[in-house]
Amino acid sequence: MADVFVPKILVLATEKCAYPGADAVGKAHLEYPSSVYILRVLSPVLFPEDFFLRTYSKGIDGIIIAACGSDCPYHGAYERLAARIDTLTTVMKDGGLDIERIRLTAICTVCIKAFLKEIAQMTDNLIRLGPVDRARAGKLYEESLQRLQSSVNPALLGNHSTSERVSL
Amino acid sequence: MSDKNDSTKQPGTEDLDLACATPEEEEALLEADPTYLKQRAAVQQHLEQVRLQRSDLPPEVRVGVYICRCGGNISDVVDVERVAKVVGLIPGVVTAKVNTFCCSDPGQQTITSDILEQNLDRVVVASCSPSLHEQTFRGAVSRANMNPYLYEQVNIREQGSWAHRHDPEGATHLAIQMITAAVGKLRYSTPLDQIKLPNHRKALVIGGGIGGMKAAVDMAGRGILVMLVEQSDRLGGRLNERGRVYPSEKMASEFVTELIQNVRANKNIEVLLNSNVTSVNGFIGNFRTVITGPFGPAGATASTDQLVGAIVMATGYRPYVPRDGEFLYREDPCVLTTPEFIQFSQSIDDRTRDMVYRGRTIRSIAFLHCVGSRQLDGVHEPQPDGTLNTYCSRVCCSTILQQALAVRERFPKVRVYDFHRDIRTYGRGEEDYYINASKAGVVFFRFNGEDPIKVERNTKSNGKKSAPLTVTVKDALTWGEELEVPVDMVVLGVGMMPSHIEDLVESIKLSTGEDHFLQEVHPKLRPVEVAVNGVLLAGTAQGPMNIQETLNAAAAAAVKAASMFAKDVVELNPFVAVVDASRCTGEAICVTQCDYEGALKMVEVEVDGRMVQRAEVNAGLCSGCGACVPVCPTRALDVDGWRLDQYNAMVDGLVTEAPSAQCGVPELVHLG
Repeated sequence: MADVFVPKILVLATEKCAYPGADAVGKAHLEYPSSVYILRVLSPVLFPEDFFLRTYSKGIDGIIIAACGSDCPYHGAYERLAARIDTLTTVMKDGGLDIERIRLTAICTVCIKAFLKEIAQMTDNLIRLGPVDRARAGKLYEESLQRLQSSVNPALLGNHSTSERVSL
Repeated sequence: MSDKNDSTKQPGTEDLDLACATPEEEEALLEADPTYLKQRAAVQQHLEQVRLQRSDLPPEVRVGVYICRCGGNISDVVDVERVAKVVGLIPGVVTAKVNTFCCSDPGQQTITSDILEQNLDRVVVASCSPSLHEQTFRGAVSRANMNPYLYEQVNIREQGSWAHRHDPEGATHLAIQMITAAVGKLRYSTPLDQIKLPNHRKALVIGGGIGGMKAAVDMAGRGILVMLVEQSDRLGGRLNERGRVYPSEKMASEFVTELIQNVRANKNIEVLLNSNVTSVNGFIGNFRTVITGPFGPAGATASTDQLVGAIVMATGYRPYVPRDGEFLYREDPCVLTTPEFIQFSQSIDDRTRDMVYRGRTIRSIAFLHCVGSRQLDGVHEPQPDGTLNTYCSRVCCSTILQQALAVRERFPKVRVYDFHRDIRTYGRGEEDYYINASKAGVVFFRFNGEDPIKVERNTKSNGKKSAPLTVTVKDALTWGEELEVPVDMVVLGVGMMPSHIEDLVESIKLSTGEDHFLQEVHPKLRPVEVAVNGVLLAGTAQGPMNIQETLNAAAAAAVKAASMFAKDVVELNPFVAVVDASRCTGEAICVTQCDYEGALKMVEVEVDGRMVQRAEVNAGLCSGCGACVPVCPTRALDVDGWRLDQYNAMVDGLVTEAPSAQCGVPELVHLG
């Protein structure tokens, strides 16, 4: 049994929709693997690309972003999220991280079947793909941070005095 | 606690390790800009300074962890004793206890006394979903003078024992990991205060129909000042166009007049006619609104700014208007919609024995159900925006039957035909209309949605008496027989569509459903509230409703507003974006990502005698969505309570191999 690969799945579930949706699964006494970790989020638009890459590098095999979709209570957030996940998948694809490890979906407060289906699909995919390549993900994570940091505008930095920093 | 020369990495600092481009890229950059290296050095120096100044490195914590049996709901599956033993080994955890009901008074008492006696500064309760008891335990820790936002709830019931009933080992392990994650998060938690803002005890009601008037009267009766804005020149809304209404058969004008009198007599209500709300900014307790109307000298159009605490959306509906040629609408004068027919039938003199419309003696009428409602893909033509009205408008069936019955009673010589897909007379007393219409000789035809009825001009000339229109139906009641029914008039039972309030929806940031009606937070638990706090729904702006339902909703909205105004201050969750000024360089990328006007802006601040730009958050306007967070190149932004370093710490907790109770080596827990 010890050799059997049990994929670790992180679900980022929105407080207004997907998190209560996941609760509804338990209330209905329906089951899914216990290696599925559900974290509550206000809106997944919060997460930068490096968060996902770092998470893979730590050994999470797949991430499901369970959002509100068109029911998103935040204006424009879902559209921005979708665009950002697009960018993330490009980075993953180019960096050799299988894009089936990330999934953006909408789960409503009573979407029990949809939730279970997403978990089952991701589990199947991950069993087929095997464990995440942590070193590769770690490299992509470092590169992502480098991109972010090299985007700091040196001209504006000049406005930032040392004394201000020290005083804070 | 951070040491400049400390070679061991502090958790969460790896994202500040200095970056540089590849050697090839550097060469290219240097060629393009000779000052490149100098600039890069400046960037690196800045980031290093920021790293050293970070105030969010995890402090030493004293955490109490409480694991709930939930009377067996949890402990029948999860080995709670083992969980307590193991999580007790996590560095920083001072005490880990099991309780049969953590939410009970003794359960809460244990937590509060431990905080005081053992000097705890963080608390985790692993029990049910936070939707049930997060507030309960935040309250409990507050009573022991602990900041409520240093509390974390771990869901080991709905997402634990109940979802992993046949995997007790897995559920136990999961509970340990989730608690480890919560403790990790708490290391980065800081005390937060609820955002307190003044609550302006005045409500703006948009729409002067029955919903708006009812809400206004009810609020005013509770001492709330109300501004009632109506775009037309009179109060009453759609009901001004109606005659007798079901099921009371009273004249609509009776109670509309009464309601108008109540509004006019109440000194707490100010009515603005011919006026429109043109802009809304702000948040609960503090909405800044602009109303445009005839407020200028001699009734000239002018605008007035109003500060209100709550907004009631009573913007109502508009009847579906058939397309030109849909069932010959606007092509034949005797094809009318239900509102048009009601107007016509009210205009007929009581003494008249014959029904005459535009010179045509009406001897037969066809009523068609579901016009503009329950539309099917591939059968009905979509709206100009490509959507179908797939919903049932709910009020049309009873309206049609009421009108059909009235025609039969008043003009017994007129034959009445009813063409329906289904009949839904759902309200109290409304089924009687169906029974009575049947008894009164209304002839019913039923058709399938896939085989819509056709209305055509009657081409079979049959002398002077022939009816000018023909309704063709594949009648399901006679097993699909195709019937042609000659009639003099066709009445289209049109449904409801949302009023044109697109500008308000945009301005207030309201959510709409697929049907474009305004969407409540929850259809059952929070039926008149929307995602924007302080905005309430009263009536058909939310979806098709009859008069009773509209008045119910309006009364509910008024009570909600009154309870909202019970306090002098508005308390908001402190989950809003925060700017770390020591990291902000004024790039202003974040501002481009913010969809909440005024929530995030650049302000000029003086630093060492120089004016520089820094991002600033207006906590009252920020929704806490976090769209600004990931774009900041210096990571100067975060959402309080849901910080990125907290999420990273949680992920670390989840992937940690839990320390075993046997070996008891806390070093096995790598937080960061």
